[in-house]
Amino acid sequence: MIEFQHVFKSYGRGRNILADVNFRIEPGEFVFVSGPSGAGKSTLLKLIGGLEPPSRGATLINGHRSDRMPARARPYLRRAVGVILQDTHLLYDRSAIQNVLLPLAVTGHSPAQSLSRARAAMEKVGLAGKEDLNPIEMSGGEQQRLAIARAIVNRPSILIADEPTANLDEESARRIMDVFRDFNRVGVTTLIASHDRSLMADYARRTMRIEGGRFTDIPGV
Amino acid sequence: MLRWLNQHRYALGVAFRRLRNQPVSSLCNILVISLSLAVPIVVAAVLDTARPVISQLPVSAEVTLYLDLSAPPEAARKISAELQRAHAEEIESLEIVTREQALQLLRSRPAWSDALAVLPDNPLPDAIVITLRQHPEIAQTTDRLSKQWRELDLVDAVQVDSAWVQRLQALLDFLGIGLWMLAMGVAVVVLATVFNTVRLQALTQREEIAIARLVGATESFVRRPFLYLGALTGLLSSALAVTIAWAALQPLGTAINRLANSYGTELPLHLPDGVSLILAGIVVAILGSLSARWSVYRNTHF
Repeated sequence: MIEFQHVFKSYGRGRNILADVNFRIEPGEFVFVSGPSGAGKSTLLKLIGGLEPPSRGATLINGHRSDRMPARARPYLRRAVGVILQDTHLLYDRSAIQNVLLPLAVTGHSPAQSLSRARAAMEKVGLAGKEDLNPIEMSGGEQQRLAIARAIVNRPSILIADEPTANLDEESARRIMDVFRDFNRVGVTTLIASHDRSLMADYARRTMRIEGGRFTDIPGV
Repeated sequence: MLRWLNQHRYALGVAFRRLRNQPVSSLCNILVISLSLAVPIVVAAVLDTARPVISQLPVSAEVTLYLDLSAPPEAARKISAELQRAHAEEIESLEIVTREQALQLLRSRPAWSDALAVLPDNPLPDAIVITLRQHPEIAQTTDRLSKQWRELDLVDAVQVDSAWVQRLQALLDFLGIGLWMLAMGVAVVVLATVFNTVRLQALTQREEIAIARLVGATESFVRRPFLYLGALTGLLSSALAVTIAWAALQPLGTAINRLANSYGTELPLHLPDGVSLILAGIVVAILGSLSARWSVYRNTHF
């Protein structure tokens, strides 16, 4: 469950990127966040992922007030939220599977257990057999799927993705969206920031539009 | 507990990988630290060897009063009695060596007997050999009394026989203090080198650190490989420093022994004992770790 109550976000003394945002997303929902560039979609996802605190207001993730969490507790919140950023942030000095192993090292899994879970995650996103490739040898779509494998390997209850299909052709974009839909079907709350109307039309059950820092909820698009 | 161990195993693996990925840079850092560490180890080895030898030397302060050649035969006994009475607390023992006894002693030595045979009469004076009691300010006492006794009637010369031993002891004490200062200087070298190494590593690992934080890494998890890197650098440097010091002591020991042999003694140079070396290695590893912690704290806030 994700809940925002009167949330404001600004940087320094600048204008509010988010202004009085209120919404609630129930467990297992599949939600699109749409809006023009610079509207605050990425900021919203960062707040949900616990990557940044709000300037004002209450943010609840899985029932916990993440805005009141001390800095040392936030990493544990991040483990419950799988984050996929537009720039995949993969490590190009190691193989694909080593990228997926990193979150498992963070949570202290044994090497054998880690390897089996990383392989399973790669298989789920359709990258079986590409474990030893360097990410640089992969296509844009494959790199994005690798980032998804890394985000889901610790079995988060929430998955958030910032423009995951932005630089992909339509076929690759749909494969990525299918992966998200599959995770959502097994109960993972999924939030995707996108401005691709055709994808939203095909996949969205609920869309939240953000413009000028304010929110409009469009259920059942 | 198992997860915690797994995290440590991972951090140690990352630290080794980072050392291995930049072999030249890592080796240079280890060399700088180990060469710095080798200097105090060699100095400690020299002090360790010299100290017991010096302690076996007669360090009790002996002062010899040589009387005037014109002094009457009973003068030595009279002066001795006066000194014993006046400085009973400072004098431990007192011995009179008459000019006849001294001549007899010299005649018993082949090198001197021929020279003495050509002399018309005994050129040696009566002498009083005074041994002073040991106490912390023995050097000052010896100095004061020898000056005072030089002014006595019928005393021609005063010789402080053990002054050189005391000077040598003072020199060793000075070197001992110098060794501590050197060790502190080396500690600064270790801190600075590891700090800079970790700073550069943190800068090159920015992306990995950012991603680790993104997937829920705690700050301890981010710092841990750097702490291991600092400790490993310290341990490897210590091991190399001991090897360098051992190699340096071989020719140095030969040269010193050649000199010592000419004085009829031996000075076998050896490394400080194993426990001290292991403790020193652990201290260097801890210093490396602390420096890494300080560096990573300052350089991973992004």
